[in-house]
Formats: sequence, C-alpha cells, structure tokens
Amino acid sequence: MSADDTGTATATVAPEEEPPPEAGATRDRAGTHSPVLFNVERFALPALLVIVLVIFSLLPSTGNIFASAANFQEVGFNYVYIGILTLASLIPLVCGEFDFSVGSNAGFTQIVVATAMARFHVPLGFAIVLAIAFGAAVGLMNGNTVARIGVNSLIVTLGTSGILLGVVEWYTGSQSINNGISSSLIDFGSQNSLGVPDVVWLLVGVALVTYYVLEHTPYGRYLTSVGSNARAARLVGLRVDRLKLSAFVLAGALAGVAGVLLVAKNGSASPEAGNVTDTLSALAGAYLGATSIRPGRFNVLGAMLATYFIGFSVAGLAIAGVASWISQVFSGAALFLAVVVSTVLGRRRAGTG
Amino acid sequence: MSRSMEDPSARGVDDGSAAGGPGPADHAVALRITNLSKTFPGTQALDDVSLSVSPGTIHCLLGGNGSGKSTLIKILAGVYRADPGGRIRVRFHEIDADKTSPEWARGAGLHFVHQDLAIFTTMSVAENLALGRGFPTGPTGNIQWRALRRHARTVLDRFDVHVSPGRLVADLRPADRTMVAIARALQDQADASEGLLVLDEPTVSLPAVEVDILFEALRRYAEAGQTIVLVTHRLEEVTRIADRVTVLRDGRVVTTLDAGEVTKDRLVELIVGRALDHASSTTSATEGEDLALEVSDLWGGPLRGVSFGLRRGEVLGIAGLVGSGRTSLLTTIFGLQRPTSGSISLDGRAVRFHNVDDAMDAGLGFVPEDRSESAFLNMSLRENLSAAQVPKYWSGLRLHWRDEVADARRSITDFSIKAISERQPFATLSGGNQQKAIVARWLRRRPKLLLLDEPTQGVDVAARAEIYRLVRDAVAAGTSVIVVTADLEELARVSDRVVVLANGRITHELEGPNIDPSRVTELVLSATGDPTNPDMEVSQR
Repeated sequence: MSADDTGTATATVAPEEEPPPEAGATRDRAGTHSPVLFNVERFALPALLVIVLVIFSLLPSTGNIFASAANFQEVGFNYVYIGILTLASLIPLVCGEFDFSVGSNAGFTQIVVATAMARFHVPLGFAIVLAIAFGAAVGLMNGNTVARIGVNSLIVTLGTSGILLGVVEWYTGSQSINNGISSSLIDFGSQNSLGVPDVVWLLVGVALVTYYVLEHTPYGRYLTSVGSNARAARLVGLRVDRLKLSAFVLAGALAGVAGVLLVAKNGSASPEAGNVTDTLSALAGAYLGATSIRPGRFNVLGAMLATYFIGFSVAGLAIAGVASWISQVFSGAALFLAVVVSTVLGRRRAGTG
Repeated sequence: MSRSMEDPSARGVDDGSAAGGPGPADHAVALRITNLSKTFPGTQALDDVSLSVSPGTIHCLLGGNGSGKSTLIKILAGVYRADPGGRIRVRFHEIDADKTSPEWARGAGLHFVHQDLAIFTTMSVAENLALGRGFPTGPTGNIQWRALRRHARTVLDRFDVHVSPGRLVADLRPADRTMVAIARALQDQADASEGLLVLDEPTVSLPAVEVDILFEALRRYAEAGQTIVLVTHRLEEVTRIADRVTVLRDGRVVTTLDAGEVTKDRLVELIVGRALDHASSTTSATEGEDLALEVSDLWGGPLRGVSFGLRRGEVLGIAGLVGSGRTSLLTTIFGLQRPTSGSISLDGRAVRFHNVDDAMDAGLGFVPEDRSESAFLNMSLRENLSAAQVPKYWSGLRLHWRDEVADARRSITDFSIKAISERQPFATLSGGNQQKAIVARWLRRRPKLLLLDEPTQGVDVAARAEIYRLVRDAVAAGTSVIVVTADLEELARVSDRVVVLANGRITHELEGPNIDPSRVTELVLSATGDPTNPDMEVSQR
C-alpha cells in the first residue's frame, strides 16, 4: 500500500518521439472501474465484524457469555490501548512512513507518567502532559532523522524502539511501579459511564480527533498527498520534510497517551508492558483497516473496526475454549488474507490486473 | 541464471556457424533491411525502408521527431513487428520483418544499448557484467568471486575499459559507465565481427570530454571489426565518428551517404527536407517591453547564461535537444533549483524563490515532464484537481467538501475530463485524462505564468488538441505560458514565439511566420551553443 512500485522500470526500447501504438485508439480505462466491487470491498470488514458478533452470540457454546454486557465491556476495555497505538501508527503510515517504535514508546511513557507521580510527586495533570511531551520528543527524534537526514523510517524507528526498551529496563531495574500512582487515574481506568468503560470513551474521543485531523483539515490532506506521491506533493508546494516530521511527532504524542492509558488500565507501570508485540498489533490494525471503508487508504474508521474485529473474534474463540495459539493464527491470517485480497482488488481497480 | 562461465554463449548457434563458419560473402553485409514498413493506427511510421550496413563500420541513423528511427530500432529489437512484406537480414540470419522477436534478435547477435543504460549503479562493475548473463557458481550454488573477477578483467581488457572490476558503477565517470554497458552487451561475442551493436543516443547526457572518450572507444571497436549502428541527434558527432549516414524523414529513407562527403549543414537540409536559410533570426524581440517574465543571464546546472523575456498572454516555446538545459530552465524558474547567478523578474520585480510555495504564491504553475511526478494515483480525481489549492476549502475549522466537489465537477466539464465521477480513483483514468486533470489543477489557480514540460507526452492525439485548447483559453484570460516539448511540429503550432536552447544558452529566436517546424528543427540541430570551448567561457566570467 505504501510500498513503491519498484522493478517496473526495466529498459524499454528508445524513448520519446514515436507515436504511441495505441494513439487514436485509446482505450478508456474508466470502463473497468466497477462501483459494485468497490462497495463490496468497502463494507466487507464491517460486515465481517457483524457476522462475528452474531455467530458468537448465537452459538450455544459461547452465546451466554459472549452476548453479555460484561463481555462487551471487557473486550472494549482490553483493546483501547491497542486502538490508541493503532491510531499512533496510522498517522506516519498516511504519509508513507513506518513508525515501529509506538509500542515501545508507550512502554517508555507509562514509566514517565508513573515515575513523575510516584517519585517526584508531580500532580496527575502535569504527569500526563510530561508523558505526552516525552512521547512527542521521541517522535521528534524519529521524524528528524527520517525527514531531514533521509534515513529509512523502518530502520530508524526499529533502532529507537530498541533504545527505549533498554532505557526502561535500566531505569526501572525491571521492577514495576505499583505505589504512588494517582487514584483518580486508576479510577478512570476502572469506571464506566453510560455502561461503557471510560477508557473506551477516551478512545472514541482520540479517534474522532484523529479522523477530523486526517479527513477534514488541509493538514490531513497534505499528509495523504505526501504518502501518495512525495515528489508530486513537493511540486504542488508542500513542505514534505516538515509534514513527515510532524507525523512522527503526532505518533509519539499519541504513544504518550497510550502510555498513560496503560497505567490507568493496569493500575501500575510494568517494564514488560508496552513492547514490540503491541507495535505489531497496531500496524496490523492499520493495514487491515486500510482494506475497508476507503479501500487502499489508511483510514481511522477502518482501523478501529479492524482492531475490534480482531478483539471480538479472539474473545469469542477464547470463550469457545480453543487453544490460545488459534487466536494468534486467526489474527495473523485475517491480516494476511485482507491485505492479499485488497491488493488484488486494488490492482483491478487501477486497471493493471 | 546459473549458467556457468565455462559454458560460453550456448546460444545463437545457427546454421551458418555450424557449417564451419560463414564464408567471406556472408561478411559483405552486417545488416540488410529491405522494404520495411510499419503502420500504426493513423500513422505510417515506416514506409518501404531499405538500408544496408557494412561490417566493421559505424553507421549513423539520423532523423527528426517522428522520422521513424525509433520504430526501426524497436522492430530490430523485436519489440514491434513490422507490416508483412519486409525482410531483415543480420549477417546470415534472415527473417520476415513481421516475424521478429527479442529471441530472434538475440540469436542473430543484435545487441542494444539504450540511452538509459540499465546498469546497476550500486553494484560493482564485475557484478554488472555478470547480471543477465549468469554468475559463475560453485558446487553449492555459491558465486565464485575470483572467477567472476577474472572474467570481468578479461572483458574489460578486451573493450579497453580502464576500470577495476571491483569498483562501484556509481563511482565511474559517465563515459566509462556507457562503456561498461557496451562491454556487457558484447561480452559473449566470440569475435568482434560476429554481431551488431545498436547504440541509441548514447551521448545525450555526456559532457563533451566524455563524448570524446566514448567515441575513441567506438572507433577502436569498429577497427576491430565491430559493426555499430548509432542513433543520435547531434550532428557534429556524425561528421566526426560515422563511416556512413542514413537519413530518415517521415518514415522513408531520404538517402544514405559516406560521412566523409557530408557537412553538418547538408545533414540538416536532408533531415528537414529543404535548403538552409542562413538569414540570422536572432533578435531581441522583447527588449524594452512590459514583460510578464524576464530572465537575464541565468546560470546554474546546465544553464550557461540564459536571457529572454516573456510577454503577457504569450506562449513561448523552448526548443532544444535533451541535455540542452530545457527542463532545468523551467525547474530553476519554478524555484526547484537555485540559480548560481542571474536574475528572474516577474512583472518587473526581481524575485528569488526559496521553494515551490514561494513560486506558487507569485502565481506560477509547473507541469513536470513525467506524470509520475504530478499524479496522486491512489487519491481521487477530485483530490488531484484541488491538490494545489486545498486551503481554499478550509474555513471555520473544516474542509468544505461540498464546494470542493462542486469545483471538481465544474472542472470535469470545463476541461472535458472523461470520468465516471469526481470520486473516481485517479489511477483508473486514461493517461490523456490524467494529464488534462493535472493541467487543470494549475489552470484553476489562474496562474500568471504556467510552465509546461512535455505536456502531451504519452497522450493520444485528441487529448493533445484538448490540452492545448485549455492552455489557449487560459492565455486568452491573461496567463503567460512557457512550453517545452521535443515534438517540434507541436511546438511550432502552439507557440507565439520560439527560442532555441543549445548547450545551456539561447541561440536563436523565431517569431510569427518564421515559426515553421522544419525551420525550428534545422535550428535545433545546427545550433551548438558553442560547445567548442565551454570551459573558456566559464573562465571568462
């Protein structure tokens, strides 16, 4: 999706001049664009989510537990953290870059917020600001290296991820921070409003803001343009390096939010929480989401549906009593299939298949 | 891929060589083409072309745009098949011209080196030589590096390329890269007289010194018996290096002559098809006028002191060969490249753009040569149309989609873009419609100055006409336009005035009735921009 079409630029015989062979008989490729196929693709993921919900609710072996409010609250609650990380990884993806450090950054910022409160007795509000600022600073470092120096973003953020994991281990001495954490933060992590966990409302809020920024502001349009064709973006006057830099900073800030959320959810900061596995889940959600709603483009609604499609499927399978490795395989296979199908359809859409 | 080194060229072994090698009669002609024609829908690209090339000679193929020389090369390479009736013979391999294929071309010993050399700059010379031929491998499939290097050494010695096999191609000077590409093409020829080398504009991007080095090498190869067919636009090269010259015009062979008996002027006449007009056409038509754009003494990259003026509502055509600086001139004006010296004034005020944003604010627009540098393929037609004016739709903290959609629909009608809806992914539009949308993207901004680099490349005839109609409408509304295209007929048709750019400087200017495609071609081909001693001029500054 974000990868370049390399390898197609092999030697062709003689450039310029001659009339193109199809001159005068140009095929209007608009004819191969099928709106029906496009709509099937758009709504496949939401339809699958509904199917999963219906099946697990109706199956006699899982129905009782799965269809309960408690289960929905539980799944909703459990996937908020991955949801925020998915949004964090989404923003650089929109402009064509990877941020492989979002999970480790969340692990780092949870230590920041917990330490600020437990060791330095900083008030909660300020501790949260600190966590987000530290996350954004990590993003600034990533973005600067990628956009200004021009290093491949996957490599840069892979390196950052390793550094953060090491720093966390060193600073905490592999010990969890359990005491001195603001009780209002822990309460926030365990309370419901209108029958929905507060943290889910937080995710809804962050998702809406991200959606607004990406789809309803020039900035979002610019990021999309850079991701679509950086060279062309430059030729319509966009500051490509600044835009990329800003995407990494936003991703870092969101990773900071995810870090705060980890503490709220767990009631403590553990050096094991927030790692590369979380990054992989987030990237998987973003890629899976890009196959629906606006196929071929990373989009917020698709990413959220993808996160909860995986979430409810895994929960349903767990209730059905299948071995935990099946859930892993399920998540992997869903991503695999979705991306393959969407690539094939995308090729057909572009008239090159 | 794993064909071993000890198995040299297990291909192309044909009847002739199987019979103990061809007799002397077979060597009389290295390539003979008879009655070759090629028809495309709407055009006759080649019309009954016959020519023959003697072995061990350098034979130049000349012709203006649309003369058919590229089609001819593509037929030889097996990319196109000719109309039935013609015959092609390469030494003792003869075939009907409508049956050629890449396999046949390879088997017959035809080797091609294109302008884009298709070499891998991040790999070593030895690796480049082995690619496409096979690496020497050991028992476990491992590359035998010593054998590879030894082979490369032999090949490089044979072709007099003085570089080490281990060097990265990126570190080689340009002429050596071309020679590595030639050596790669010819390495499996057991004998120089065996095959035929076709070089398609090998000197386009080479500085003068490098051209000399390459030509010396080509002469040596020819003396060793190598037959070379050379396609070029640079006529001074022809008189220097060629043994024979064939001129094509409108798909027909005009004549074939000995290079020794021909002058550059004569060649221009043959290519253009009429006698040379020596009257000077260099005028300073715009001096003292109120100008939309004035460029004076612009230096930077290939540009060596370019000066010209552009009137309000004028279409100025820039004619020049590849490498003349025509694209650099546009990108420098648009702020993508900084000039080293010289000035650019818009409406009488000197401007200095630090980036594209500045240039756009000043009312400039630029359609680049390559559509891959302007198309957002996975975005919608609507987003592509509004890409250069997104802030227009931003007010009250939201993007006004409805206005954007309305504008997009209007543009689709106004600019006759064929699309199902404004939501259609850009990739699904035909090339001509994509290009119309990209031109529309800029025209919607009502630019003061629009820079068009090959605006109709890869676009069908109908769309070409429409694109220029759109440009004309904008001009009527006051936009000034600079257009660059290699299609000189098109350039002559759409321009109010044409300047000829050669070697980074403007050599001629044509206005009004003087703009005649053959006259422009003539000037482009004969203009040298004084390449004889460019260094001297630099040092004078």
